[in-house]
Amino acid sequence: MNLSLSLYDLFALSPQLCILAGAIILLLVESFAPQISQRFSLAITAGIFTAAAILTLFQPQTTNTLLTYWLQFDLFSEAFSLAAFAIGIATLLLSHAFFARFHVRPGEYCVFLLCAIFGIQLIAHAADFLTLFLGLEMLSVATYVLCGYVKKWTASNESSLKYFLMGSLASALFVYGVALIYGAIGHTSLRTILQSYQEIIPAPERTLFLAGIALVSFGLFFKAAIVPFHFWAPDVYAGASTPISAFMALGIKTAAFAALVRVFWGSLQHFDPLWNEAVRCLIYATLIYANSVAMRQTHLRRFFAYSGISHAGFLLIPFVVGGTEGGAAFWIYLITYLLSTAGAFAVLAILDNHSGGPKAEDLKGLFRESPLTAATFAVCLLTLAGFPPTVGFFAKFSIFQLAYAQGYYDLVILGLLTSIFSAFYYFRWITIMFEGKEERTARRPCLPEKTLATTSIVLLIVFSLCPSFIRYT
Amino acid sequence: MQLLTLKRTAILLSILPLFLFLYFWIYDLRPQIDRPWIPSLGIHFALSIDSLSLIFIVLTTLITPLAILVSDEHKIQNPLAFYGSILILELMLLGFFCAADLILFAFFWEGMLIPIYILLVCWGDEEREKTGMKFLLYTLSGSVLMIIAILSLYFLNPAHDFLISAIAAHAAQSAYTPYLCAIFLLAFAVKTPLFPFHGWLPDAYCRSPLPVTILLSAVLSKAGIYGFLRIGPTFFFAQIETWSPFLLTLSIGGVIYGAFAAWMQADFKRLIAYSSLSHVNFILAGIFVQQKTAATGAILQSLNHALTVAALFIAADWVERRIRTTSIHKCGGLCLYMPKLCWMTLFFVLASIGLPGLNNFVGEILILFGFVVKRPWTAPIIATTLILSAVYMLRWMQQLYFGPPHLAEHAKNDLSKKELLIGLGLATAVLFLGIRPGPLLDQAHSAMQTIFNPSEIPPQ
Repeated sequence: MNLSLSLYDLFALSPQLCILAGAIILLLVESFAPQISQRFSLAITAGIFTAAAILTLFQPQTTNTLLTYWLQFDLFSEAFSLAAFAIGIATLLLSHAFFARFHVRPGEYCVFLLCAIFGIQLIAHAADFLTLFLGLEMLSVATYVLCGYVKKWTASNESSLKYFLMGSLASALFVYGVALIYGAIGHTSLRTILQSYQEIIPAPERTLFLAGIALVSFGLFFKAAIVPFHFWAPDVYAGASTPISAFMALGIKTAAFAALVRVFWGSLQHFDPLWNEAVRCLIYATLIYANSVAMRQTHLRRFFAYSGISHAGFLLIPFVVGGTEGGAAFWIYLITYLLSTAGAFAVLAILDNHSGGPKAEDLKGLFRESPLTAATFAVCLLTLAGFPPTVGFFAKFSIFQLAYAQGYYDLVILGLLTSIFSAFYYFRWITIMFEGKEERTARRPCLPEKTLATTSIVLLIVFSLCPSFIRYT
Repeated sequence: MQLLTLKRTAILLSILPLFLFLYFWIYDLRPQIDRPWIPSLGIHFALSIDSLSLIFIVLTTLITPLAILVSDEHKIQNPLAFYGSILILELMLLGFFCAADLILFAFFWEGMLIPIYILLVCWGDEEREKTGMKFLLYTLSGSVLMIIAILSLYFLNPAHDFLISAIAAHAAQSAYTPYLCAIFLLAFAVKTPLFPFHGWLPDAYCRSPLPVTILLSAVLSKAGIYGFLRIGPTFFFAQIETWSPFLLTLSIGGVIYGAFAAWMQADFKRLIAYSSLSHVNFILAGIFVQQKTAATGAILQSLNHALTVAALFIAADWVERRIRTTSIHKCGGLCLYMPKLCWMTLFFVLASIGLPGLNNFVGEILILFGFVVKRPWTAPIIATTLILSAVYMLRWMQQLYFGPPHLAEHAKNDLSKKELLIGLGLATAVLFLGIRPGPLLDQAHSAMQTIFNPSEIPPQ
């Protein structure tokens, strides 16, 4: 076995190294030159993400077994890494005004954000359950800290502690599941897991394996916030600051689905119909519960937690159908969700004026005060609701078409019916923006938030006109 | 001045397509476009114009400029957004009438909800949020399952695309045909609205500003009728034939219910709203009877009804602006003070009743003829509505214009020059279509043939 890394292999690994090195350097800067860190850390972090994205695009393929045993380099990992960097930059754009307004130091924040993105990268590249676990933990631990980053906010502390307690339980169960799988097949490599599973003859070991998979799924569904593993999401989103809620809505969702793609599409395609049936039941629970509860929310971050849960339910549909033929629909839906949620959170960041986060009354009269902000929010909400002429319609449609083609008519009907509920509550926010007469001075959006809002709106409009731009890579 | 420029620009933009489509009409052109849009999903960007779409397109491009023209630009807050929404709505409607791909059809169908919702919620009266939400929920619940019906048709079609012409031949072969048919009919029934799906109608018509009322009653309801015509006989001829007694009961019930409800109103805007419900259901009855003459009449009547109801709402709005109430009983004898407005209103009322020589008469008589041929026993029932409509409409005229004169002191001014011009223009159209329906009738006839003989739809 080859035990040395050549320069070429290091190039293949360069995006990961770039992020990691950046995190360490920023930590040193924060410790020894706090002034520089205070002023430039956000810009430096954005630069690191950009550099990593460029390195990812020119990343060479490696065949060194030392690396490929643990990591895999394919289109999926590349796409998810790029998405992760974009999410990182989006979070930074949202954070700029946040630091200025609440007088919080950004140094350590950036370090943890880099660590979290590194975790997503690891998940996207994982070729073994252990790498996957490392990535999940890297992401989770960083997020626990980020949730409680503003130490003076009690709600943040509570949300951080809650997330930590529940999250560590989920992680523990995940590891336990991996241990059971190891017990059943004798290794944890994702590459050969399907083959090993099919070679198991004795029933007890099969049960052991399935139990392991159940626990692993539990851990991942927890991260994706699928009902009934969603309890953390609303409270944590509501308690954490707006940029961090955005990071959870975008980053953690993406990471969880990257892990699901790695495990259940990359390795365990169609391994057991039992799993697909179980996921189908979870989709029922998720869509019905999230959509009926989202209707009553008045707190916007909490609302987006439920909206995220409901969209996670839609994103799971390609997994029930199983097989990579769901890839196209999955990508269209994920990208649409990410863009519209990013745009919506940019508006939330503009409205954000106290630690409690924006509420329904903050939206009142927004259309009159700043029509552009209101229009941005409306477009994002319409996209999330899946309304034509936005790309959201095509995203939902592609999911339904996939489910229909595979004979899951019930899921299509359920999805359509819950879409009515969702249209109701998304439209309710739009109605609120139009009502209200009282004069209020809205905060002028600063450049970074505007940039994010504009970028996501422009992309959404482009994709709405030409949905075929989103290609399955 | 700037406001006026804005309004003029809006009118110009909304009327431009009319010239294009009139050109198509006169030179008998049937342009089509068919490009792959989202190849991975089998969706085409396919638009085609046949005789049926042409009639509805001309209707839309006639009524929308009219709606903008009669709007009061000084009373509308944020006129840019208002006219913008109306133009977007027109775009969606035109797209809907041209769509030759079922996904595009659904796309525009749902898409037109957004501008109309915004128009209802932003520029309505005090109850506007409730009205808007009610309208939205009604129409959304009606069309929610349309996507699954479309998907099911897609998988029935061996060519695996959504082109209407390709699907038409295979629509009736599914084991689920009754369900598919019901899903489509429900969606169109709510929008039109077919009795008893009209719950949203009175509020939406009466709580919105005049241009929105005109668009809702004259154009949006025609989108539902167009849906019935386009999808109904072409896809599900046999199924609708089976359900015809049931559907006819509903629509004739709607005709009579609307008439009685209009009779009971003390508010003349609501009266016109219910009379519109009654007339629209009359058109639907003409479609559900599935008889060629009746269908021709129904197509013709769509245009006629749009003109008449728009004219009635405009006249009602002029009255309302002067007497500042919509109650029938508060004022009387208005004929004495504003004779021009009175005779103008009377003219449109007579058109709406179906006086021979005016436009509605032609369409209604054709529909009745179809009934006499195919279901002679129902014809007398549906013919009673002609009497009923005379009763409720003339009651309104009698109370408001010809009763003993008593009037609030501020309302003595008769029609202005501009109003007179608009009114005379409409009256000319009404009279022309009544006296010389020939060219339009030919168009309606060829439209009817495209529905009943799907093979004659030009190949894509």
